[in-house]
Amino acid sequence: MSTRDGESQFEFLNKPVTRREVLKGAAVVGAGAAFGPLIAACGGSSDSSSSSASPAAGAPTMGGHLRVAAGQGSAKEDLDAHATAYTMQSMDMRFNIYDSLLEYSPEGVQGMALAESLEPNADGTQYTVKLKSGLVFHDGSPVNADAVVYSFERIMDPKNPGLAAQQLRGLAPGGTKKIDDLTVTFELEAANAIFPESLATYSAAIVPVGYDPKGGNGIVGTGPFMLASPGDFQPGVQCVLQKNPDYWREGGGPYVDTLSIIEFADTTAQMNALLGGAVDYVNMIPGAQRTIATGAGNMLLEAKTGSWIPFTMNCDVKPFSDVRVRQAFRLIVDRPQMMAQGADGLQWLGNDMYGPFDPGYPADLPQRAQDLEQAKSLLKQAGYADLSVKLVTSTSVSNNAPSAATVFAQQAKGAGVTVKVDNVTGDVFWGDQYLSWPFAMDNWGTRGYLAQTGMGTMPGVLYDETHWSKTNEKYMSLVKEAYTTVDDTMRNELISEAATIEYNEGAYIIYAFDNQVDAHSAKVMGMVADYSGLGSCASNARYRLAYFG
Amino acid sequence: MPPLLKLLLIRLGLGLLTLFLVSVVVFVATQALPGDAAKAILGKDSADTVRYEALRKELRLDRPILEQYTSWLGGVARGDLGNSLVGGGAKVTALLGARIVNSTTLVLLAALFSIPISIVIGALSAIWRDSKFDNVVNIGNLSLAALPEFVIGIVLVLLFATTVFQWLPSVSNVDSLTPLRNQMLLFVLPVMTLVLAVIPYVSRMLRASTVEVLESEYVMMARLKGLSESRVLWHHALPNAIVPTIQVIAINIAWLAGGIVTVEYLFGFPGIGTALVDAVANRDMPVVQALVLLIAAVYVVLNLIADILTILISPRLRTGLR
Repeated sequence: MSTRDGESQFEFLNKPVTRREVLKGAAVVGAGAAFGPLIAACGGSSDSSSSSASPAAGAPTMGGHLRVAAGQGSAKEDLDAHATAYTMQSMDMRFNIYDSLLEYSPEGVQGMALAESLEPNADGTQYTVKLKSGLVFHDGSPVNADAVVYSFERIMDPKNPGLAAQQLRGLAPGGTKKIDDLTVTFELEAANAIFPESLATYSAAIVPVGYDPKGGNGIVGTGPFMLASPGDFQPGVQCVLQKNPDYWREGGGPYVDTLSIIEFADTTAQMNALLGGAVDYVNMIPGAQRTIATGAGNMLLEAKTGSWIPFTMNCDVKPFSDVRVRQAFRLIVDRPQMMAQGADGLQWLGNDMYGPFDPGYPADLPQRAQDLEQAKSLLKQAGYADLSVKLVTSTSVSNNAPSAATVFAQQAKGAGVTVKVDNVTGDVFWGDQYLSWPFAMDNWGTRGYLAQTGMGTMPGVLYDETHWSKTNEKYMSLVKEAYTTVDDTMRNELISEAATIEYNEGAYIIYAFDNQVDAHSAKVMGMVADYSGLGSCASNARYRLAYFG
Repeated sequence: MPPLLKLLLIRLGLGLLTLFLVSVVVFVATQALPGDAAKAILGKDSADTVRYEALRKELRLDRPILEQYTSWLGGVARGDLGNSLVGGGAKVTALLGARIVNSTTLVLLAALFSIPISIVIGALSAIWRDSKFDNVVNIGNLSLAALPEFVIGIVLVLLFATTVFQWLPSVSNVDSLTPLRNQMLLFVLPVMTLVLAVIPYVSRMLRASTVEVLESEYVMMARLKGLSESRVLWHHALPNAIVPTIQVIAINIAWLAGGIVTVEYLFGFPGIGTALVDAVANRDMPVVQALVLLIAAVYVVLNLIADILTILISPRLRTGLR
């Protein structure tokens, strides 16, 4: 999710932003179960001109009104804790209103939020959660086992399942059992080693018993900010939240009294709002606007994320059913050149595998680079010496997608492959042929390796766009075994082995991961860059850390 | 029945027919677009056919197309514009009310400033034609007419809100929770942009027709009678010169009502243009219909007003009615 500035005046008719965000955010889970120190080093990808001042110097100042300029909203948005967040903006709002049992730190390390502890049994079929004591919701009702059971039954409601239902693999309606006032056990029908990861997603938020966002007690959570009156939320326009004075986190804010998330249809207007002093913080600016922001004395907050925009090769059809063609296509890509053209330097190098922050990610595999001779010889062996394919792309995948596709077509000429780029509207791209395009692109958020396979790789999952894994028995059994392996070290080894098979034979071309930049007034302090790539660099409710210096 | 009233009634009837035809065209067009509201709501999740079908049923998209249209039309006949398909089933009127107020205020303010200014500029440059003033106005008008309104807007923002001076708000997120009169400052730049976009057309039209009239024989006659130049201009020349200009003004105001999406984007202005774009993308038929009908109605009404004004102002047409 980076730039929108390559966009012509009328591109908004294709609604690139919202659809792309839907895609990326529709089912966001945190990344790998327990991130190593790998990503801790990534937070500081910024140079000296960037990054927020840290709150280290003295105590944060209280008070003030933080106004955030967010991207394009839509009338579709709502604040239901468990519904699909149709735009990045409504996701941001929910991050600030609700909490889940677990959470990820800005560095991507799994930790406890409303839960005090989480204990799996030996085979990953049962997880026992103990809640922190003395916590209350915005309306004063207690955060207890009843609330947790109510929340998960609401998510698992077969008539209207919540967004997290898919991800809480193994949990069934009735599977959440109260043990005592502060203890709950999740009894799973099948082992799921990454269940804790699903408990940390924003759409597995905990709500009070009887929660009814459309009426009744309204929008109630445990987050750092709360909705004072239903009229303060206007879908597609803005959301005004007030400080939660009883926020549970010691020393974790919130410091400002009021938080406004204001939606802008246009990135130029977003930046103008900051330059003119109408807002204090701008989410996800196009790379080209960085110098405009800093030139006017603003600060940047940069985050290195695990979001990726792959080329997808469909193994159900020729020529991609032949592994040699897939290998050749991966060798065609000159990755640095592709990153340089159109992404404004807001990317970092990929190696045809996803889940780069997963502790099982095989980071020691050699970096794949362009090798046209090898590509030609592979294509010749496969009997496709004179190959011609169509590459389907869309600005609704990402604003950078069509330019990456064009670069690919250019580079493919070097290997004697003719690539015809077909840039279609979002309606067509996500229409009936989505998931069966022979050669296309897609846009995915930051996830752990196994969570991603459960979304897009394994046979029968919702977004199996490459149809590759069913061709590889070894791969499928490794992933299935990893799903049921509770031991972190053993699971990471299995993940590493599976990812290596994908590196050698898989059907994605992953040339890069996205970076992300926010800009803010020099008066705003305390913001911390987040690995998730969701909504803003300072996602996951970290507006609670902001204060005015 | 007075002939003017008869004309008015006939034209209003035709206007209603136009609106009906517009609603049919819009309905057919929304059906012809790929996908539907359920797909727009679910996005990538519509791959989940169970959820997709359930949502289609909930939104009543599974009914025959003709039935969907007639039930919507029946609602409109009863004054009920229906409920939004995607906005959690909210009433269309509740969803759009604040935006319609914002857009109306914007258009009225733009008209209020642009019409008198254009008339004065047009008349003056006709009187002083080929003077320095006329040349400057001509060059200015041509340059403004050549620039798309969002470019004018960007320049105004750079000048008055961000880079050069910081006198005015750079964005116009009108807050529907605060009374409008307290937020008038937010309207300054968008109104200025629209005024600058409208002035060239109206003032050039007026200049051309005034020049033509000033060279006519009855103006020469008036001058020969010894009337003062100002009386010649305001009483003899302008009333005739303004007739073609009225039509241009009507078309420009109608354009303001329907076609200022780019200005709304630029200033983050919550008006009906962005709502319409959002609704089309969401395949939200009731919202699209409501907005398109509103815009079409503005066109119909403004054209009617312009025609009637034209008749009232020009004696030839006025007497021709009898």
